[in-house]
Amino acid sequence: MEKYEIRDGLHYSREHEWVKVEGNLARVGITDYAQKKLGDIVYAELPDIGEQVKQLVEKKTKEMELGALESIKAVSAIYSPISGKVKEVNNALQERPELANTSPYDEGWVCVIDPSTLNVELGSLMDAKEYSEYLKKLG
Amino acid sequence: MKYRQARWTSDVCLEPLVFELGGKGRRGTFSREKLLSDPEIPEGFIRASINLPELSEPEVVRHYTRLSQMNFGVDSGFYPLGSCTMKYNPKISEELAGLETATNIHPYQSEETVQGALELMHNLERSLAEIAGVSRVCLHPAAGAHGELLGMLLVRAHFKLKGEERTEVIVPDSAHGTNFTSAAMAGFNVVVVPSDSRGRVDIAALQEAVTKKTAALMLTNPNTLGLFEDGILEIAKIVHKAGGLLYYDGANLNGIMGKARPGDMGFDIVHFNLHKTFSTPHGGGGPGAGPVGVCKSLEEFLPAPMVEYNKKAKRYYLDYNRPYSIGKIKSFYGNFGVLVKAYTYILMMGAEGLEAVTDAAVVNANYIMRKLEELSDYEFKYPGPCKHEAVVSVEPLKTEKEVTARDVAKSLLDYGMHAPTYYFPPIVPEALMIEPTETESKEELDRFVDALKRIAEEAHTKPEKLRSSPTGTAIGRLDEVKAAREPILSWRMYKREKTKDAEAPPQEIKNDATP
Amino acid sequence: MGSHFLPSTRESLNEMLREIGVANIEELFADIPSKIRLKHGLNLPPPMSESEVRRHVKTMLSKNKPFTEMPTFLGGGVWPHHVPAHVRSLVQRSEFLTSYTPYQAETSQGMLQALFEYQSLVAELVGLDIANSSMYDWATAAGEAALMCARVTGRKRFLVPKLISPERLSVLKNYISGPALETVEIGYNSATGQLRVDELEGQLGEDVAGVYIENPSYLGFLETQVQEIAEAAHKAGALFVVGVNPISLGLLKPPGDYGADIVVGEGQPLGNPVSFGGPTLGIFACRDEQKLLRQMPGRLVGMTTTLDGNTRGYTMTLQTREQHIRRERATSNICSNEALCAVSAAIYLSSMGPSGLREVAETCASNAGYAMKKLRKIKGLQVPIFDSPHFNEFTLKCVKPGLGIETFNDRLLELGVHGGTPVQREFPDLGETAVLCTTELHTKEDIDKLVEAAARAVEGKK
Repeated sequence: MEKYEIRDGLHYSREHEWVKVEGNLARVGITDYAQKKLGDIVYAELPDIGEQVKQLVEKKTKEMELGALESIKAVSAIYSPISGKVKEVNNALQERPELANTSPYDEGWVCVIDPSTLNVELGSLMDAKEYSEYLKKLG
Repeated sequence: MKYRQARWTSDVCLEPLVFELGGKGRRGTFSREKLLSDPEIPEGFIRASINLPELSEPEVVRHYTRLSQMNFGVDSGFYPLGSCTMKYNPKISEELAGLETATNIHPYQSEETVQGALELMHNLERSLAEIAGVSRVCLHPAAGAHGELLGMLLVRAHFKLKGEERTEVIVPDSAHGTNFTSAAMAGFNVVVVPSDSRGRVDIAALQEAVTKKTAALMLTNPNTLGLFEDGILEIAKIVHKAGGLLYYDGANLNGIMGKARPGDMGFDIVHFNLHKTFSTPHGGGGPGAGPVGVCKSLEEFLPAPMVEYNKKAKRYYLDYNRPYSIGKIKSFYGNFGVLVKAYTYILMMGAEGLEAVTDAAVVNANYIMRKLEELSDYEFKYPGPCKHEAVVSVEPLKTEKEVTARDVAKSLLDYGMHAPTYYFPPIVPEALMIEPTETESKEELDRFVDALKRIAEEAHTKPEKLRSSPTGTAIGRLDEVKAAREPILSWRMYKREKTKDAEAPPQEIKNDATP
Repeated sequence: MGSHFLPSTRESLNEMLREIGVANIEELFADIPSKIRLKHGLNLPPPMSESEVRRHVKTMLSKNKPFTEMPTFLGGGVWPHHVPAHVRSLVQRSEFLTSYTPYQAETSQGMLQALFEYQSLVAELVGLDIANSSMYDWATAAGEAALMCARVTGRKRFLVPKLISPERLSVLKNYISGPALETVEIGYNSATGQLRVDELEGQLGEDVAGVYIENPSYLGFLETQVQEIAEAAHKAGALFVVGVNPISLGLLKPPGDYGADIVVGEGQPLGNPVSFGGPTLGIFACRDEQKLLRQMPGRLVGMTTTLDGNTRGYTMTLQTREQHIRRERATSNICSNEALCAVSAAIYLSSMGPSGLREVAETCASNAGYAMKKLRKIKGLQVPIFDSPHFNEFTLKCVKPGLGIETFNDRLLELGVHGGTPVQREFPDLGETAVLCTTELHTKEDIDKLVEAAARAVEGKK
């Protein structure tokens, strides 16, 4: 089985996004598993600053999309792991989409969100150990 | 049989770009006499210069001849592209479409001076209507997808006139991408219906999906798995009962000509792909033609003009008097040059010829399916028989040896055969969609199966060879990631990038072949 | 079996049926419900041999009178120009002609490079960096441009000139009907035909996605206020779209130089015959800006290298905009396009070179100038109706009381001359008017014959 990097201290969603709590803001990105599955990322479509997004729970809708990442053969929507308002987007990722491949947890971050109900929603996300189990189950 | 494509190389490229050839003052064509008058155009609107290459005619001809040698057509070798129907293109069609009486007529000429063209279009319409079992056919659309858009606009017009608001179009999960986009372009929401374990539309799921919001169901039959939707009468009933319309994507018409007609199956709108079923050449991506046939109740919405015949005056004419027409979807009357070729083909084949085409196409596809079923590395997810195409999965090779459908397809190129369609339809993993067509001999099919057999063997013994194929073509695999990350889409952009690189730090300087 | 295009014989088919494991062909069609199974063959004429079909189609088409057989002055969206013989012979090469869309880059470098060259040549012609590898025609390209403007700006109104080609307007309206965009027609100055910039500015607001003009106009005159129109559009946050006849760009300033964001046009005159209006070739180009490029419709060929970085090559790129990947959210549903016509255009432009294309354009304009000068001397005609510079098309109006333009044209035809396209039904305000076109193919004799016939047609003389 392939080795996927999983960082402690982050919160993980079923759609393979991570959340890092920074004070009363939350930084969001995609996991190492996600970037490996996507392959070479050639374009990052980022949300607008000020955009309102909803946490993905069950059914996927447009208000839950935080943009998309494109490889040459596919487009993958990024689903928001938490609800809130987009405060900052990673312009470096826009210019160098490969950062999502080479540095998904650091330089390849997607955006920073001003969360609306962070504590409640964090409860529905996984921690590093749970995410590791989740990945093992996916096979 | 192995294949070595021509390969022209020059330093770091194959054939140089036309901008990199020629020399100052050279001309490829045209000389004129004295101007009759001074063009009275103010200085400020005249362009200072234009950066076009300067080549003599022999240089132009050599350049494009060399490029053609680094390309592959149906005339070169087996081209089993699923859903594209890459059949042999009769040369007589080229000759006739190239006659002066076809090329040198203007669409706005007085009707009495173009009776031959109008008669041809009229006859073609009648033939297509008979083949598909529809009432009238509009010849305007330039491609299948264009026909789909027209079809969707006709659906909208139909419900607008009825005063019904219908916002959804249903499409099977195996459908061609254009179906989704065409429906969306016409303003509909797309609802996807799954396929069942037999590879056909899941009728129970369809029943759920069809509501008072359903404007239409878009289907191709045989479907993209090459399987005949045997529940079609039930499907038509479900859609029509709810007041919806049935749209036929004609890409796979080669599988049923002379056996059954979409109009009889209950389809209200049918599009044809003349560059597929009716053998007009693909031209590297076009031009094609996508005529649209309709049942009686939708006739009034068709674009103007339609070609009509005045029995009394014994003349053909263009009828613009169509008050309910949705208007035009293309200028003029369609890709006439392509229509001539399709008409010529239908005349040569006749009814028995078209049915023989379907017979041979279906036998050829089933033969390949049967032979591949004997090889364990190729899996058929759905039982046959198929019609004119078959979809095989190389999932076993992916699982055991990390050899993908793409690797298998690229390896075929080294055998002098074009790769089949791969990764489509999306419901089959590691799919290869194989459509041999009727213009292939049994020997060619055996060669194809043999090539796939060898490739499967090599997957087990030397998979790296497959992953690095092709090696017999003019060029090997390309960096598509770079092409997408740093798009260079024209000579102008290329020159700018080179200047930037030249000004950049030493390690970025590239060694380019610039005269 | 009959047809010589089918290698199968009764024997080989039976052999294959045996291997498949069925008794006869009918078994392979057993899953077609008997209710819809055709019991008799299709009702089509009996099959023809190649010599029969050659005779049949030739005879049918001989009922056409090619415009080369009499002086003809038609344009309006397709124009008769010289197609160099080598253009046709090159695109008839079967490796080009019978190939499919070049998805397999390794075996299709010929087509890919030819299309990259087409994109590059169009880019030079229109003065913008990016051109796609073709759309169906000018009309659909304009429709796609309107959709693109709406996607880029998020706005819903598209401003067009009142004197826009009616066919193109009809196609445009159908293309924008899906997302329910709206067109607004801007009026013209009745003396010059020029777009009323004050009216344009009045209509420009926060809901305008794009401003579209045709230059030269459908009625042949040049839009002289292009700078002002571009500025007004941009000031309001709208995109500026210009529709062109590319031959004119051999002489005229390209739209990229006067602020166009998108250029559309008809590429047929570049090395493609008129062919009764099809196949045509839609030109589509835009400025090199991320937000535009991402929303561009159509196929794009890009330059890249082999994986080892050593050899330059070409491949279809940015496919995530297209239907096979994006599906409902694709920038367009276009799949098959007019690729071979684009290659013809590339060969034509490469053969013309800067001086060749300039000469063709100058000759076109000069012939029109000569024709106008002579025609306007005829009492009863107003040529042209607009006091503006023209390229190679111009208007001719019958001002003699009681003389309709159709009657005028009928009389011309009786005198062995084919007149221009009557536009009195499309533009009733302009009266009994037709649009005439001259190209480099017209000789002095042709135009003199037109003038002589026109004088007699006005008088009613036979």
